[in-house]
Amino acid sequence: MSSTRHSPARRPRRLRRHLAGAALSAAALGLAGCAGAAVPGGEGDVAIDYWLWESVQLPGYQACADAFEAENPDINIRITQYGWGDYWEKLTASMVAGAGPDVFADHLTMYPEFVSRGVLLPFDEMEATSDFDGGDFQEGLAELWEGPDGRQYGMPKDFDTIAIFFNHDVLEEAGMTAEDLEGLDWNPEDGGTFEEVIAHLSIDAEGVRGSEEGFDPDNVVTYGLASGGAGGDGHGQTQWSWLAASTGWVYTDEPVWAEEYNYDDERVHESLEWLFGLVDKGFMPSFAEVGTSPNPTQQLGSGAAALSPNGSWTISSYTLLEGIDLGVAPLPAGPVGHPVSMYNGLGDSISAQTDHPEEAAEWVAFLGSEECQVLVGEQGVVFPAHPAGTEAAIEAFGEKGIDVEPFTDLVEEQHTVLFPVTNYGSEIGSILSPVLDAMYIGSADSSDLTEANERIARLFD
Amino acid sequence: MATTTEDAVPRSVPEGVKKRRDDSRLAWLFILPALIGLLLFYFWPLVRGIALSFTSWDLLSPAQFIGAENYVRMVQDPVFWNAVRVTLYYVVLNIGIQTVVALVIAVLMQRLTRSAMLRSLILAPYLVSNVVAALVFFWILDFQLGIGNQLLEWIGLSRIGFFTTEAWAIPTIAGVNVWRHMGYTALLIFAGLQAIPSNLYEAGRVDGASEVRMFRSITVPLLRPILGLVLIISVIGSFQVFDTVSVTTGGGPVNASRVLQLYIYENAFAEFNFGYAAALSVAMLAILIVVTFAQYRVTRAGQTDLN
Amino acid sequence: MTQLHGTAGLGAEAVARREPENPAEQKRPRRRLSLGRVAAWAVMIAMLLITIFPFYWMLRTALSSNSALYANATSLLPVDFSWGGFERVFGLQTVDEAIAQGGSGAQLNFWLYLRNSVIVATGITVCQVFFSAMAAYAFSRLRWRGRNLVFSAFLLSLMVPIIFTLLPNFLLIRDLGLIDTLFGIMLPGLFMAPFAIFFLRQFFMNVPLEIEEAALIDGASKVRVFFALIIPMSAAPIATISILTYITAWNDYFWPLMVSYTDDSRVLTVALGAFSAQSPQSGPDWSGLMAATLVAALPMIVLFSLFAKRIVNSIGFTGIK
Repeated sequence: MSSTRHSPARRPRRLRRHLAGAALSAAALGLAGCAGAAVPGGEGDVAIDYWLWESVQLPGYQACADAFEAENPDINIRITQYGWGDYWEKLTASMVAGAGPDVFADHLTMYPEFVSRGVLLPFDEMEATSDFDGGDFQEGLAELWEGPDGRQYGMPKDFDTIAIFFNHDVLEEAGMTAEDLEGLDWNPEDGGTFEEVIAHLSIDAEGVRGSEEGFDPDNVVTYGLASGGAGGDGHGQTQWSWLAASTGWVYTDEPVWAEEYNYDDERVHESLEWLFGLVDKGFMPSFAEVGTSPNPTQQLGSGAAALSPNGSWTISSYTLLEGIDLGVAPLPAGPVGHPVSMYNGLGDSISAQTDHPEEAAEWVAFLGSEECQVLVGEQGVVFPAHPAGTEAAIEAFGEKGIDVEPFTDLVEEQHTVLFPVTNYGSEIGSILSPVLDAMYIGSADSSDLTEANERIARLFD
Repeated sequence: MATTTEDAVPRSVPEGVKKRRDDSRLAWLFILPALIGLLLFYFWPLVRGIALSFTSWDLLSPAQFIGAENYVRMVQDPVFWNAVRVTLYYVVLNIGIQTVVALVIAVLMQRLTRSAMLRSLILAPYLVSNVVAALVFFWILDFQLGIGNQLLEWIGLSRIGFFTTEAWAIPTIAGVNVWRHMGYTALLIFAGLQAIPSNLYEAGRVDGASEVRMFRSITVPLLRPILGLVLIISVIGSFQVFDTVSVTTGGGPVNASRVLQLYIYENAFAEFNFGYAAALSVAMLAILIVVTFAQYRVTRAGQTDLN
Repeated sequence: MTQLHGTAGLGAEAVARREPENPAEQKRPRRRLSLGRVAAWAVMIAMLLITIFPFYWMLRTALSSNSALYANATSLLPVDFSWGGFERVFGLQTVDEAIAQGGSGAQLNFWLYLRNSVIVATGITVCQVFFSAMAAYAFSRLRWRGRNLVFSAFLLSLMVPIIFTLLPNFLLIRDLGLIDTLFGIMLPGLFMAPFAIFFLRQFFMNVPLEIEEAALIDGASKVRVFFALIIPMSAAPIATISILTYITAWNDYFWPLMVSYTDDSRVLTVALGAFSAQSPQSGPDWSGLMAATLVAALPMIVLFSLFAKRIVNSIGFTGIK
């Protein structure tokens, strides 16, 4: 009993010492952490931070940085890569705190927000980029990065278009060859020969094809067309931009910096009705099967779909699929008489917060140079914006056994429609997404899209 | 010891002890570090946030005072009201299922086995971050390729669009978070169960009370402070659900899972409407305060039945 | 002294009535196989299966090769068995190899990130739990004016929306020059966690008044009561909250992502973010992601298994059931 009474008096000192020790060591750990974080960098006098999100492009840009540093020993390029999901938040928060990168890879949905808030440096302010010539790049790409004030805010980096991935083996089983996928036509009324092919490639659980009698649209094993979802957050870039645009429909009243969208146009309505109508016919997975994060690559890889339309930046994901004899087919020609693809591109922008605008501009100028873009193209991952870089990429893809002409032909023939560069990109996405989802599900129709167009119009008032 | 204690210190506090009862100075010293943390990392941001809710701020250019405009907009915003509805639905499902499951696990752990291994296993889901847990279930419950849907088919049921249909999105997200948190919650309740003096059960058994009776008249009342705490904490956490939604449904289909926190987040970081996002956050804070206060009252979490 | 140590979580009456060898243990028909027990075990096993299956699936996916996953989605065994996922986590593959297997091109310095994570989680746990326990003691055992008001303020802090705290805290860290340091990652978590205070307070409240008063009458100060009585008697809840704090700190993603810029302060979760989808419309590196998840959780599982034993022992000694 008595020992119980006395123990509180004896115990604490030891314990307190323990705890004090613990607190001290914690503080020491913290200090060690501080000390451990030495200022990074190398021998270079000026460090330029460059951020990008495409990890598969990292090797190409690292090669550019090495080449650049060799030419400019006083500038040190530090590349940091964050996945797409983190990239924009980290970038925005860093800019708010004044701790962002000097140069960063930019996207057309985001850059109008940056331009209108004055956080990007226009190219004419720095010597290295003052002689920027948009003619160096594939037609139309430079204009995408021209602000409403006519000044250049981004160095064209690469471009992307849409084509259709397929499995040669699946075609063979259907008694078709890759040639049968060329020169197809499409229209929103009966789907043309494109729909015939999709129907023929759809197979139900009994092995009956969609082009045959007795096909059960509620019990399909392989869909003719893969689904990339409703596409509300990217203007249907990979999902339906190529359908709607091939009717002659355009997104906006001006090519860039428009203030009016055309989502009230009948042509886009009919195109979407045809596409989403494929669900009932059993030619495309329903919304319930693919949801809001659809993966057309996965659908092709698992044999759940036969034709998988997707963007050129996904080529490497498709080439990794095992057991697939991969082929690339062109988009079908629409009522305008030829196929049309959305034409989108990334760029490199210079942050207005940089302490070294001249050096940052030198790096950006190098990023846009033939030398760097050929280095990137040789990686065979994306199509660089510089024609020489594009050529290098076509060659590199060819070495991997993929003929990427269906992607690049569209640009050569100028069968493209530009990504709509306007203000309020994110808000417009927030308005379109639920409506297009609902249209895909079948709980909304074209009139809701017209109504959404009115809400978009109000943003610009 | 007990006898001496009871003689010297009856339930009413003796004079000698009472005199020292005002411990103000010591108390402030003891809460000082916590108070610094509170003021620096919670209250200052809170004050700033509330101030920003009366401005139009796009993060990158200076904020402008616009009065109550954000609040007016909020009241008229159907997406906001939908988000409130969806969030409440989620909280009710999530907390309801989670509390029952955790209570069952905790009681079973206490009654059946004291295996440390078992306790580690049951906590294992909590070791995985929200985002990863969501991704794993997204993969398992994929309509076409998920093993979960394959299992349903194997036992003769039809496939379910767990993350892809309006009816299932919120229940599925709630389920994923129950999976991640049930062991954690069970462990907290288990710790509370351990604090209940065993002699009470022994006495009950001597009196011939049934297990159910003892659960109701001993376990539940004595567990109340811990259970109240667990409920309050999980409800607050549940209201702020975000990661799971963001990586699985992104708020869809249509707006079926656009919970409040996601809507706030989209406004703040995707659309650069920080002022509006701040106003939405103030609304969420107000809802939380009301709900928590009510819970605090109902569960009387502030008191204990032991002393 | 030993006796006191053994009364953790017990009421004074319980101590008094406790029989020396705790015969209650033998008296209870614990081993009898009643219908209720069978049902209880069945429920328990079902719960365990639900808990564990996703982990098996992670392991199965981690040991599969990415390229074959889609074609054999529902195979119960790893498809096209490969250590590739784990090799990428430990940074054992070249960039080209990693990209060829569907991974990202990011180079990982696993052991450095592990060290950083251990430092951050340990620092936060030690400081946070200790300071929270101090505050919890003031809120549960000390009498002072304004106690309830201040406590409500702490309760309120649980509800402060994340978007409110994120930017101001980031700006503060910048102003302190702590960006890209481990200390900067730790700092907001060092002082307290509202949850830890709340949690410990509930347990401290349950420590019987009689024991404390007996000590006070013996002339012990309140400070001594805290260190020598409350803390040892609450060993189990303190261990519990420490583990939960450690896990939370370990799993934190968004805040370390904000503060960290280079490898110097990159913690494991942030580094392993390289395994989730890196560009829109492309899936994650599934086998790498699952391998990363398992590897990141492993230290926690080991830690918990060690501590769980100790919790059992500290409780078991008192004979509580």
